[in-house]
Amino acid sequence: MKPKTADRLATIAFWLLGGITVGVLLFIILQIFGRGILTALNPRFLLGKPEAMKEGGGVLPMIVSTLYLTGLTLAISLPVSLGAAVFLSEYAREGRLTNAIRFCVDSLASLPSIVFGLFGMTLFVIYFGWGYSLIAGAFTCAILNLPTLMRSSEESLRSVPGTYREASLSLGATKWTTVRQVVLPSATPGILAGTMLTIGRIIGESAAIVYTAGLFVRNIPTSPMDTAAPLAGYIWYAQTEALIPDFRRVVDGGAALLLLLVLLVNFAARRIGRYYQRKKMAGGADG
Amino acid sequence: MGIAESGREKTTRLALQILASVSIFSVLMIFLFIFRESIPAITSQRFTLMTTNWSPNVTDPAAGQYGMLAFLNGTIFTTLGGMVLGAPLGIGTAVFITRIAPARIGGTISRGIELLAGIPSVIIGWFGLTLLVPQIARWTGTSGYGVMAASVVLAVMILPTVAALSAEALKSLPPELEEASMAMGATRWQTIRCTLLPAAKRGILVATVLGMGRAIGETMAVQMVVGNARQIAFSLTERTSTMTSRIITDMGESTGVFRSALYAQGLVLLLLAMMLILGVKLISRDKRVK
Repeated sequence: MKPKTADRLATIAFWLLGGITVGVLLFIILQIFGRGILTALNPRFLLGKPEAMKEGGGVLPMIVSTLYLTGLTLAISLPVSLGAAVFLSEYAREGRLTNAIRFCVDSLASLPSIVFGLFGMTLFVIYFGWGYSLIAGAFTCAILNLPTLMRSSEESLRSVPGTYREASLSLGATKWTTVRQVVLPSATPGILAGTMLTIGRIIGESAAIVYTAGLFVRNIPTSPMDTAAPLAGYIWYAQTEALIPDFRRVVDGGAALLLLLVLLVNFAARRIGRYYQRKKMAGGADG
Repeated sequence: MGIAESGREKTTRLALQILASVSIFSVLMIFLFIFRESIPAITSQRFTLMTTNWSPNVTDPAAGQYGMLAFLNGTIFTTLGGMVLGAPLGIGTAVFITRIAPARIGGTISRGIELLAGIPSVIIGWFGLTLLVPQIARWTGTSGYGVMAASVVLAVMILPTVAALSAEALKSLPPELEEASMAMGATRWQTIRCTLLPAAKRGILVATVLGMGRAIGETMAVQMVVGNARQIAFSLTERTSTMTSRIITDMGESTGVFRSALYAQGLVLLLLAMMLILGVKLISRDKRVK
């Protein structure tokens, strides 16, 4: 084959591959929305209580569970990952400790979420005696998302120009003051973008939470010790057990609602990210 | 530094160090607890664990047989299937968005890939269950559940990982490589095949290995389409289980040795993940030496 012909064929093949990827994404989104969005936005579904055996149930307790779990998880993992990121980027010298930390963060990131689920069930649900509860789910999810949050926070901290720190230190500020008043505020947009992505992951998580936070509830959980049923896990449960006659409608609606939530969070993350990018470029022009 | 750190600075430093060590502590605890819970299965089942005989006994767990080989086979089989479909598609998409597509289209597809990565696995599973499984059933005249459905679902799930990381590897190549090759009169395809892909080989390999890790660990989406049979599968249309799908299916009703056998599979998953991460470290370490 002539090189020119081969080149043309290859170009067509790559356009096809790119097209397939986009096609798969669009097909999934359109299918899920097409089948479930009307149910998802129906007030009786959105604000109704779920049924255990009958048809006509809604998902309000599941939505509340998801939001509650997300809030609790962030409350636990944000301080830890921020502190860890500050330590790695501002305080630690590269050595055995930082190597060990990085290796463990990489390992955590590569563990399947079902392994976190097994761990959370043993330690939090059974060993600590918390039972299926929001708090058990939140601790499990917090450990699961520690790597993502730590990495994105560390990256944001590292992208703050060194001159900022030098200026602050030369004015007589201590290291901690510099971190708190100069470095952290400049890194905030990046940390926020990373947090939004993590929120998206928590909302979509199911394998790690079904046997820690819970699978099914009829009432809205109020205390962190209450059993919950985050939407993603409930979708799986409703489909697998198929105890309700209209599980297809519930799962279609739940899937569309879940996808809508995840897409909204992703768009928000991108907006913040873009804002951050623009600011960084402006900062670079100044220097 | 000449100036001694004040007491407060020292306390802050220590506090941050403790927070940073949470990750080390978590990994150790996870390993410890999963291992501890697998002990009853390992000591009572011994070599039975490595058979395909999975006959749990719910009322008297100790009387059951818990061989996990069929599910290990299921994990390997579906992961390979997912890789065969997903890896070339992911790498091809990465080449497309970095070298072929106009910048606007490439950027849009990159964002689409990020979105795909964010779609929860229950949604992909539900999609597979309601569209893929009936379609496969129509084509093959079987139930539609099984290795083939799981492989396609996994391909969709690893696609964003492989594509995004491969694209990053291709983007980080120095532009001189492409320029030199094109200046020598090579066509774009020759440049991609003979210069760019070999140069980005390690990064693409890492992307593929991490995609594989995702496939091995994927639970819900696979559980919804793989059929959850206890038998070993040798063909694409047979129903079977993976280790992850077995764990999530049986977790609710298991006690005693039965439950412990599920943790033993969790331990295998944990060790597999560790091996992959060591593999990734080895691949990237080579790069630094060179």
